Amino acid sequence: MSKVDPLEDEKAAPLKERRVAVVARRLHISTLTVNIALGLVAIFWLVPTISLLIISLRPESLFGTSGWWTVFTAPSQLTFGNYTTVFSQGFATGGVLNSLITSLEITIPATILVALISSLAAYSLVFGFWRGRDMIFLVIVGLMVVPLQVALIPVVQFYRELGNLFGLNPYGTIPGVIIFHVAFGLPFGIFLMRNFLTGIPRDLLEAGRIEGAGEWKIFYRIVLPLALPAIASLAIFQFIWVWNDLLVALVFLGGNVHTPLTIYLYDQTRSLAANYWIVSTGAVVSIFVPLIVFFSFQRYFVRGVLAGAVK
Amino acid sequence: MSSVTLRELTKKYDGNDAYSLDSVSLDVAHGEFICLVGPSGCGKTTALRMIAGLESVTSGDIEIGDRVVNDLAPRDRDIALVFQSYALYPHMTVSENMSFGLKLRKVPKDEIKKAVIDAARILDLEQYLDRKPGQLSGGQRQRVALGRAIVRNPSAFLMDEPLSNLDAKLRVQTRAEIARLHHRLGATMIYVTHDQVEAMTMADRIAVINLGKLEQVGSPRDLYDRPANQFVGGFIGSPSMNFVPMHVESVDDGLRLVSDGGDMDVALGGVESSVIRRAGVSEVVMGVRPEHIDHVPRSGGGLQMRASVDVIEFLGNDEHVHLTSGDHVLVAIVDARTPLTIGDSLTLSASIEAIHLFHPETGAALK
Repeated sequence: MSKVDPLEDEKAAPLKERRVAVVARRLHISTLTVNIALGLVAIFWLVPTISLLIISLRPESLFGTSGWWTVFTAPSQLTFGNYTTVFSQGFATGGVLNSLITSLEITIPATILVALISSLAAYSLVFGFWRGRDMIFLVIVGLMVVPLQVALIPVVQFYRELGNLFGLNPYGTIPGVIIFHVAFGLPFGIFLMRNFLTGIPRDLLEAGRIEGAGEWKIFYRIVLPLALPAIASLAIFQFIWVWNDLLVALVFLGGNVHTPLTIYLYDQTRSLAANYWIVSTGAVVSIFVPLIVFFSFQRYFVRGVLAGAVK
Repeated sequence: MSSVTLRELTKKYDGNDAYSLDSVSLDVAHGEFICLVGPSGCGKTTALRMIAGLESVTSGDIEIGDRVVNDLAPRDRDIALVFQSYALYPHMTVSENMSFGLKLRKVPKDEIKKAVIDAARILDLEQYLDRKPGQLSGGQRQRVALGRAIVRNPSAFLMDEPLSNLDAKLRVQTRAEIARLHHRLGATMIYVTHDQVEAMTMADRIAVINLGKLEQVGSPRDLYDRPANQFVGGFIGSPSMNFVPMHVESVDDGLRLVSDGGDMDVALGGVESSVIRRAGVSEVVMGVRPEHIDHVPRSGGGLQMRASVDVIEFLGNDEHVHLTSGDHVLVAIVDARTPLTIGDSLTLSASIEAIHLFHPETGAALK
């Protein structure tokens, strides 16, 4: 049988360096230029974020008197005072931690449901055997452009009707917000997943079918592992979208004592004029969670997951 | 292992007037290696996919062992399919790829391990068991695809052009390996290819399919020596058989064939003459294989022709010589030491045994 063929050397080079080199070659510029450009972009994004973090770490009294950058000459300004004050309420209603939990209660189910339902729908749209799959897909693409504002009043009314008919009115509850976010996350989710799944060779599914896998096994043993990069990006999009949402939460949770972080921050600017130390501290708290999500999903952004499947 | 029987198997896709597979009947014996061969789009892959259960049956029956499997799901047919693309699961290691089917069937772990190790040893994959398909060469992937089929010990192996993605050298090597594997496992194998050389070298029997119809089934030697029609004659053998339309003429002691312009003539013996008389035709298509044309004049019987040399393809041991004889173009294989130059006028011949006669309209062999 054939000898061991050594893998091409190029594959051994670190992925990141290769990517920079590829971009540089394509644009006919040097690797150095690309790195400088990347550095500038990074600084552009990092400066406001770091300034926010520093502001939250300075005492309230300094806010109006000196700029955040003075911290570099006088590091003694730094204090956890704001955080101690903000966290002192613990999980009590109206506190930042209570809002953090509420935000998670909304965002996590809304993200998982969208990822799950989108993958299943996309699987059926791509690999199903029913007629009219392309038509349904076009309708779903059309739904992507519906602005959610037009649905606010009808959905509130619909929720009321549910309450009248079944005694279960989701309005003003966390499930009510989740359902709305899932409904508006699905068209994009299905669009993204469907386009990704079309790249999975049909042969793989047929091989599984012959070897004894039913549709469920094929879905979660073959298709789902291969779709992880798409699911990861969908989950990040959906998570950040729902996490940052203020409008839907205001409309559907108005009056509820448990409010997500966005409403919490909004309340701080509204009720206590220019209470920036709370706003900056709360903002840092609310940035923190999406960052964790992003970095923990980052490893699924793998290029070439399908390498070696066919040919 | 079991036999596979196709009974008037037919496939017609919606919105397509032509039959993709038209009433094909075929018996594949237990342990037999059969090749389905034909040009692209002839329906051979459709037939294979129908046996595997990946395409529905329009009419007819498929039997594996003594069960009619028409309506069984692929997984209940106890067959393995090796895909042209290999279709390896890219997120699984080689050993996971091979054990996937066994795990689904809830085979005990130690048995799975043993089956995988055995298959890996047969296929020389032992040191790659923990690699993923992306880290393997084309030939290694191909062997993993074979291994995935072997571990399940199925009733029949179905192979869909498994060598077409390999380079020429590896293809020859793997061809021998598959033949050896068949010998070793004694398995029923149905092998689809468009390459008649693969079919000739590996198969016990070959089924030639064209435009959805089964043209002929037989051993490689049968197909080569006695093609049932002009299509099989032209498809089997490389370079392919020369065909020349000829007029039938009566001479004192029988019949003879003459080409337009008279550059070629065939003196027929008694047997051939009576075959043509029985068919009642005044024209026939004469077929003669390039390797049967001799660069010598011949006295008494057989083909005589005058031709000039157009192109010489030197192949080492021999040469393919493209010839023009009157309005007809032919290829002959001659010894490479024959001194020939382009434009030479030659007298060539072939024995009467090497001459095939086909009906001018139906293309069927006259016999």
